[in-house]
Amino acid sequence: MFWLTWRQHRAQMLVTASFLLALGALLLGSAIEAAVYAAAHAPPGCPGPSVACAEVGAGLSARYQAVYSLYGWMPLLAPALIGAFWGAPLLGREYERGTHLLAWTQSVSPARWLAVKLGVLGGAVALGGLALSAMATAWRASFPDSVAGTWFGNLGVFNMVGVVPAAWWAFAFATGAAAGAFLRRTLPAMAVTVAVVAAAVFGLFSLSDHYAEPARTVTTDRAAVFARDSRLLREAWVAPSGAETEAVPMTVCPSPPDAGRSGRNAEARERCLFQAGYRLAVYHHPPERFWRFQWIEAGILLAASAVLGAAAVARTLRR
Amino acid sequence: MIDFRLDPRSGVATYRQLVDQVKHALRLGLLRPGDRLPTAKEVVAKLTINPNTVLKAYRELEREGLATGRPGLGTFITGEPALGGTLADHARLHAELSEWVRRARAAGLGREDVEALVSSAVFESFRETA
Amino acid sequence: MIPALEATGLGRRYGRAWALRDCSLSVPAGRVAALVGPNGAGKTTLLHLAVGLLSPTAGSVRVFGETGRRDRVAFLAQDKPLYDGFTVAETLRFGRGLNPSWDDGFARERLAALGIPLRGKTGALSGGQRAQVALTVALAKRPRLLVLDEPLANLDPLARHAVMRGLMEAVAETGLSVLLSSHVVSDLEHTCDWLVVLNGGRVQVSGAVDDLLEGHRLLTGPAEEADAVAARLPVVARDRAGRRETLLARAGDPVLGPAWASAPVSLDDLVMAYLREPEAAALPRPALAR
Repeated sequence: MFWLTWRQHRAQMLVTASFLLALGALLLGSAIEAAVYAAAHAPPGCPGPSVACAEVGAGLSARYQAVYSLYGWMPLLAPALIGAFWGAPLLGREYERGTHLLAWTQSVSPARWLAVKLGVLGGAVALGGLALSAMATAWRASFPDSVAGTWFGNLGVFNMVGVVPAAWWAFAFATGAAAGAFLRRTLPAMAVTVAVVAAAVFGLFSLSDHYAEPARTVTTDRAAVFARDSRLLREAWVAPSGAETEAVPMTVCPSPPDAGRSGRNAEARERCLFQAGYRLAVYHHPPERFWRFQWIEAGILLAASAVLGAAAVARTLRR
Repeated sequence: MIDFRLDPRSGVATYRQLVDQVKHALRLGLLRPGDRLPTAKEVVAKLTINPNTVLKAYRELEREGLATGRPGLGTFITGEPALGGTLADHARLHAELSEWVRRARAAGLGREDVEALVSSAVFESFRETA
Repeated sequence: MIPALEATGLGRRYGRAWALRDCSLSVPAGRVAALVGPNGAGKTTLLHLAVGLLSPTAGSVRVFGETGRRDRVAFLAQDKPLYDGFTVAETLRFGRGLNPSWDDGFARERLAALGIPLRGKTGALSGGQRAQVALTVALAKRPRLLVLDEPLANLDPLARHAVMRGLMEAVAETGLSVLLSSHVVSDLEHTCDWLVVLNGGRVQVSGAVDDLLEGHRLLTGPAEEADAVAARLPVVARDRAGRRETLLARAGDPVLGPAWASAPVSLDDLVMAYLREPEAAALPRPALAR
């Protein structure tokens, strides 16, 4: 059974492994090149306030962004590909070619056949996701915090590190397997899988703000909150009376007529409001919630994977 | 060893055809007591028939006392079919019939004409006596 | 003796339509049974139920008295599915991995005798070779019952003959029981010794081929006397041609008037007659169904 699983799915396994290796080589190359660049150009005392330091920081940032602009697609692209090429053909191709009639009339029961396939392939997929996450983490850690300091505040980054990538891969695989079990054709199952994974990615992106009650920080220093790796949700003004309001009436601290310098005017008005006793209420998720959010997202995805996997099993074994 | 053949259009049951061919071979001296009949597998490989059919034919031959199955060895001819008349009669009649066939051919009869005449004579003769 | 296959009140429904209904039959061990019927008669459904690919909506089906023994029954599905990307050797490895009772020596010898190389991909085999590889996989499992769905369909005459011969040799060697479906009766004339006719989801005929052939006669006589004969004998089918009428009757060799001729039936005549008359049935007495 294990040989059969390997033999039937070795193409996907080899392509995925090669892809991860190639990506690993790219990230390693990028990290080494960045380190060499920093060592050659950064004067002593960096990171620091000097102009030279800022130049090196900009150089590193450009290097980081060049790779990240490619790599940023991973949270969407990788699960879609895994679902389409690992999950959808698992049952879809068997039904399509009639080979399920061969496979499920041997001494090994269809239940065991399916358990081994889902177990081995699902496990391999989860390991692949973890490998991707580990590589992303190591690569990002090789850049200074000023360049790659955000882990939690940026949703794209949040979805490529920690345990979430593995959960995404497993979810996509289970989606593909279920689509194959119900549609019994490979290509339609691939299409449905990609659509479901894309919808889930965007769905969870917007849902993730609600994983916990936002923290409310009342402050006159917005930058202090921003400086931490928080995920910002919204802001409101708190009147001296303590009442919260979205917008302070223009009767308080009237803003001078806009003369194309709205930014400066707005800053001036904020200073005025702070002096008048107003405070800013910033709703956000502080960075300490990183692992909590990771596990909530992974939990949702793994629960969905379990439901989809169970549906695929039930559909397959219902005779 | 006997070489079985099947006539798919004869309308005679397959096992019956096998039995008849063994008897025919015995009459013509092609098979003698002690000869081994082909195994079911050998017959099946040649004729592509159900092995149960071969076994059924051999059981029939055993029932008629013409063959005996020896487990692990095969089925062997152990008897001869009851022959009408003596061997001498058979030899004499065969010679006479051969002479008749020669004359029929000399008269311009073809194979089918000869067979038709013989079978009609056999048919009429046996119907009268039956 | 325990029958190779025994169905009791077996039925299977897809949605609201019954593909097979109230099917009761028993095929004795050691037989080569033919399952015959028009397309859509429920043949494939019955076979899939027998090998456990489907579960019954009603009734039960047992193989050698047991259900769910996947190691005892092998199945060769219609169109002989194989993994096209596998080599023949890998196909054998598939069989070995999924069947504890696998006989690898037998499989290799059989393919060598047939001249099928182990290195080639199964997808590149001819139809006949493909059928032989599929049959080898089914036989090397060493089943007690082999079920085949239209094994001869889409094969040229030479390959049909070769597949049938391989099957018959396996029966001769191992005493294997066989159930195969076909809609071409002439392929089965000398190879099957048990006949099951399925029509419209119901069993119409089930019995030993010899008994069935001996138990039916073709009677030809004057058309005006046909009704009187039909009133005396169970008649399956009638066919009038001018002033003469031919009756296919379920009877040994009845004594009729001098105007009547009686002839044995062929398997083909028998099957066709029953298929044309879906209401007629020749089911075995309990003694025959042993």
